[in-house]
Amino acid sequence: MSAVVEIQNVTKKIKGKTIIDSLNFNVKKGEVFGFLGPNGAGKTTTIRMMVGLISITSGDIKISGYSIKKDFEKAISQVGGIVENPEMYKFLTGYQNLLHYARMSKGIKQTQIQEAVRLVGLSERIHDKVKTYSLGMRQRLGLAQALLHDPKVLILDEPTNGLDPAGIREMRDHLRMLAKERDMAVIVSSHLLSEMEMMCDRIGIIQRGKLIDVQLVNDFVNGPEKFIEIKVSPREAAIKLLKHHFPEIKVQVREKGIIIPLSKEQVPLLVREMVIANIDIFNVREQSRTLEDRFLEVTEKKGEALYAYADTK
Amino acid sequence: MLMLIQNEWMKIFRRPGTLVMVGLLLLMVMITGSVIKYQQNQTTVQKQINWKADLQQQVDQSKQQLEKVSKVRVPSIKRSIALNQYQIKHNLNPNQKYSMWDFVSDGSGLIQLAGLFTIIIAAGIVAQEFNWGTIKLLLIRPISRGRLLLSKYITTILFALTMLVILFIFSLITGYLLFGTPETVVPYLKYVNGKVAEQSMISHLVVFYGMRSVTMLMLSTMAFMISAVFRNSSLAIGISIFLMFTGSELTMLLASKFHWAKYILFANTDLSQYFDGVPMVEGMTFHFSLAMLVSYFIMFQVLAFAVFKKRDVAA
Repeated sequence: MSAVVEIQNVTKKIKGKTIIDSLNFNVKKGEVFGFLGPNGAGKTTTIRMMVGLISITSGDIKISGYSIKKDFEKAISQVGGIVENPEMYKFLTGYQNLLHYARMSKGIKQTQIQEAVRLVGLSERIHDKVKTYSLGMRQRLGLAQALLHDPKVLILDEPTNGLDPAGIREMRDHLRMLAKERDMAVIVSSHLLSEMEMMCDRIGIIQRGKLIDVQLVNDFVNGPEKFIEIKVSPREAAIKLLKHHFPEIKVQVREKGIIIPLSKEQVPLLVREMVIANIDIFNVREQSRTLEDRFLEVTEKKGEALYAYADTK
Repeated sequence: MLMLIQNEWMKIFRRPGTLVMVGLLLLMVMITGSVIKYQQNQTTVQKQINWKADLQQQVDQSKQQLEKVSKVRVPSIKRSIALNQYQIKHNLNPNQKYSMWDFVSDGSGLIQLAGLFTIIIAAGIVAQEFNWGTIKLLLIRPISRGRLLLSKYITTILFALTMLVILFIFSLITGYLLFGTPETVVPYLKYVNGKVAEQSMISHLVVFYGMRSVTMLMLSTMAFMISAVFRNSSLAIGISIFLMFTGSELTMLLASKFHWAKYILFANTDLSQYFDGVPMVEGMTFHFSLAMLVSYFIMFQVLAFAVFKKRDVAA
């Protein structure tokens, strides 16, 4: 898989303040890339730089090899986007809105407009005025607008903002389908972690204008080691046994059991030992952590490091 | 480019507000017509037989005045003397029945209204996109910002032209229906450089409209510039309309005291002063005004384009 979007050393300064600090990452064809970060971290700024709404102080962004700085028109014609809420002309019908945007790209046929409409399921209401649309329908119209010119890259800033659960699910399904079937590179930003977990293949975490991590969602959620939760009785005996086998291990004590970091291969061994030692085992399970746990863990740790760095300066 | 203009056109005329503007313009023409018609019915125009003697009397009076009045009023008195003498000499009775031509000429005051509407459109055409948030979707198309802004400006000018054409044609129709054509074909008399010349009525009116529209063009361009620079349509409308109503009076006031007043935009917007009257500040010429107008125009455009192209579209 090749990179369609290349973010190369991108820095943005506003009035001497560094908002984005030498960002570097690539997004490949057919993947959904999540751009995650707390409010004010610089997600929206980065996305706006990708679509040329905000100028880049130094570095460059390339889309299909075209620089957004020097070759704006060629680069942007590969991109479909929704930046924040999809604001439409409310006094026009959905169809007129699409026609309006279609006229701005070269060679979009009427059948393409209709196809985009069908894809997002707005065929019935497309000739109604946009002011009569619900937020979900506007979001879908926004998506149709972004898909008109069959772009290679889809960039969405907070695409699920303000949608109800059904709307969120629908949006997620659309994006996954577009990445898979049309081989598009989809970039979404969000601070909704659970959402990103279900939608994305890879996640980049940004904090205070710096990219602190890029990982596959699965790797990211699970981290390098897994935690095993074991419900045992008596607890003290179990801990003693553990310390005997793994002297270095950190044991978290819970009301009815313990939580220990352990690799999958070590689990049967431990269970066998416990059985032999006459310890009752009620339950052994891998503790699945959510993206949220990991996210807070990562941002806090890196955040602390950053603070420390700033202090030494 | 044609597509872009088509887009802007659609966005202007699909809004009910615009249709109300056109409606108001038509309504105002009808009201003006009715009022004039009503007044006419109350006063009947007398066709004096000895109009030449009357005119001669006026000329004599004016000539006496010439020696007494202040220097400022001299040119306008000279003008009326010249016109009167021409009418006597060529047997042109000034007391004609009020005709459609007179109405179109009187109705040209409504150009201000057309100008007002154009200013509103010009002020909104960029700023509204920011208000609506649609600017974001507009700027992520394979079209440079310069071309986008140009298409918006051209649309504004087309809108102004449309309003003028509507006004002109509707005035003609209303004038024809209410007042009819003149009994005898009367040429328009113009006074340039101390000489009187004849001109056909329709060409006079077209030129007259054009002259009166200069203010409108400049103010719309200014509103457009403010709109693009400050992204604020109320500010653009406010400043432009304020200047539209007070600009020439203020300039006139300044012109009586200071010589530099001739560099103010509004000292130059009324080009008809060179054809049908006297310049606001002594020593101003048609070419000077033209040069000033062009400089102001370029300044507005450069400001609008430079700021719009460089702007970061955030939040």
